[in-house]
Amino acid sequence: MGLTDLLFFALSAVAIVSGWRVFATDSMVRASFLLLLSFVAVGLIIVMLAAPYIGVATIFMMTVEMMVMALFMVMFMMNPAGLNPMMMVHQHRFSIVAGVLAFAGLTVAILFTSFPGIPVDPAAPVVHDLGIELLGPSMLIFETAGVTLLATMIGSVILSSRSGRFGLADQGSRPPGLEPDGEPAGRQPEQGGGGHHHHHH
Amino acid sequence: MTLASVLIVAAALIGIGLYGALSQQSFVMLMMGLELMLNGGLLAVIGLWANTMGGAPEGQLLAIIIMAVMAVDMAIGFALVTAVYRKRQADVTESLTTMKH
Amino acid sequence: MELIAALLLLLFLSVGFAGAALADGMLPALISGQARPSWRRPIAEAARLLQTQPIRTEAPDALLWFLAPALYLALAIIGLAVIPFGPGLVTIPSEVGIVVWGSCEALTIVAVFMFGWSANAPLPLIGAYRYVAIALPAMLISMFVLIGAALPAESLGFTEIVEAQRTVWNVVRQPAGLILFLMLGLAISLRGPFDYADPADLAGGTTADVSGPALLAWKIARLAMLVSVSAVTATAFLGGYLGPILPGFVWFLLKTALVLVVLVAAGNLFARVPPARMMGVIWTMLLPLSFLMLLAVGLELLLWG
Repeated sequence: MGLTDLLFFALSAVAIVSGWRVFATDSMVRASFLLLLSFVAVGLIIVMLAAPYIGVATIFMMTVEMMVMALFMVMFMMNPAGLNPMMMVHQHRFSIVAGVLAFAGLTVAILFTSFPGIPVDPAAPVVHDLGIELLGPSMLIFETAGVTLLATMIGSVILSSRSGRFGLADQGSRPPGLEPDGEPAGRQPEQGGGGHHHHHH
Repeated sequence: MTLASVLIVAAALIGIGLYGALSQQSFVMLMMGLELMLNGGLLAVIGLWANTMGGAPEGQLLAIIIMAVMAVDMAIGFALVTAVYRKRQADVTESLTTMKH
Repeated sequence: MELIAALLLLLFLSVGFAGAALADGMLPALISGQARPSWRRPIAEAARLLQTQPIRTEAPDALLWFLAPALYLALAIIGLAVIPFGPGLVTIPSEVGIVVWGSCEALTIVAVFMFGWSANAPLPLIGAYRYVAIALPAMLISMFVLIGAALPAESLGFTEIVEAQRTVWNVVRQPAGLILFLMLGLAISLRGPFDYADPADLAGGTTADVSGPALLAWKIARLAMLVSVSAVTATAFLGGYLGPILPGFVWFLLKTALVLVVLVAAGNLFARVPPARMMGVIWTMLLPLSFLMLLAVGLELLLWG
């Protein structure tokens, strides 16, 4: 077993264990950092698999994504610091069975398939080839991805902007209730406002 | 680092991701499950590209498309979470029962 | 060759770090008109921090709090490792050097957020939040500007980028690009106008509840990142190791020192504006400007390249 194999097994262990811990940690911010760790390990494996651009770009992109995710975690979630135990799951047993079945099924499929063995030439200019492919023969596909991303940007702005179809943003920006459908937590604004005059008799 | 071992790691990531996507109540945790599945998919694509395609660039192109899918997933997911939170003050899937009818 | 480069990296980092500490300590005094500022100040400050009592917050994430400065320092070193110090002198020759550096920038933001969040206290978290809001778009700008530097080289590797500057330096191609990249430098080394993470108006922000050796580690990592980002600026815009007569490494060192002094001076001369206003400036003015620079370089290469 060479150094490459050792490194590969270590990175795989990091990717899988941190991927599992994502759903077992108490803090959602920690969960997004763990997911980032999993992505970084996969990115490094991809670099070892002779695709440096894809691997490093994965790390780059996922870092930014997980950073945004951590921000949303602190904004939306209760208990972001993980001070209380957290286990928010439904259909738990079914999910475990589905996950294990997916893994077992895929593993069996992998072990019983004979793949063609044409490895990539280590001297091949893979990054250069990818660039030529992206802006040459597959330009339309690449552009489709670009247009999809543009549509995504417009869609997410419409969904989340102040005057979106779900009403004004600040109208709904109340803290969640202490119990389901209950009064919002925190201090309540006074009814009637400051400009309202009371009549005294 | 054989192709089979790379693919099994990818399968494990997909399995864990599927578990997360099915079991988590919170939207954002659910999205983490989806991302983990895409992560496994990415690894499998590059593993197959590096070992069975002889370096044909289309394999890397597919990986780029997967990354674009991840970005779309995150952006639209967070926009929906924001919209739902504004409308219902809720961040768990159970609160969206009206979508059933 | 890579071993020599690795040794040079250590040497460069130590010299650069010492220079950065000196510049950081002496430039404010020089700017304010003191004739002979003391060079011992940074050392005295370090000695003081080593003896200061370490404090704790309530229920911090101790592991992440401990690891964040180490991650920050590691990112500075990885950034230096993909930069050529001389012809063929690069620790990790990478054909995707720019993307590696971009990942270092992005992970720096994560490190700062981690540091602020894991203290589990209000001021550090506010600092971390503000920093992410400003640094993420600043990082986007730097990536567009760096793509503009990679276009003439037709490669993402730093070695090729330096070689492509033999005819003309990238600073001539996109002068505004250099300034935008220096802003990123201020942002990821947490200083001056872009220091939204641990400024005085938040009573120290991410470092509000850190003291003693932990604070010293954080400051060391900040200075190391300053050296790293200066080296990247010198490589991507000022021709890196290119220059007449003197050996390449010396030129590289001189250019890095120049950028470093400019960064420290800018950090002292420019004031910080409120975060909301800075957000507006970044998204509506600086980001479009970086697109324009990229377009200009592309057109230039298309028409006369």
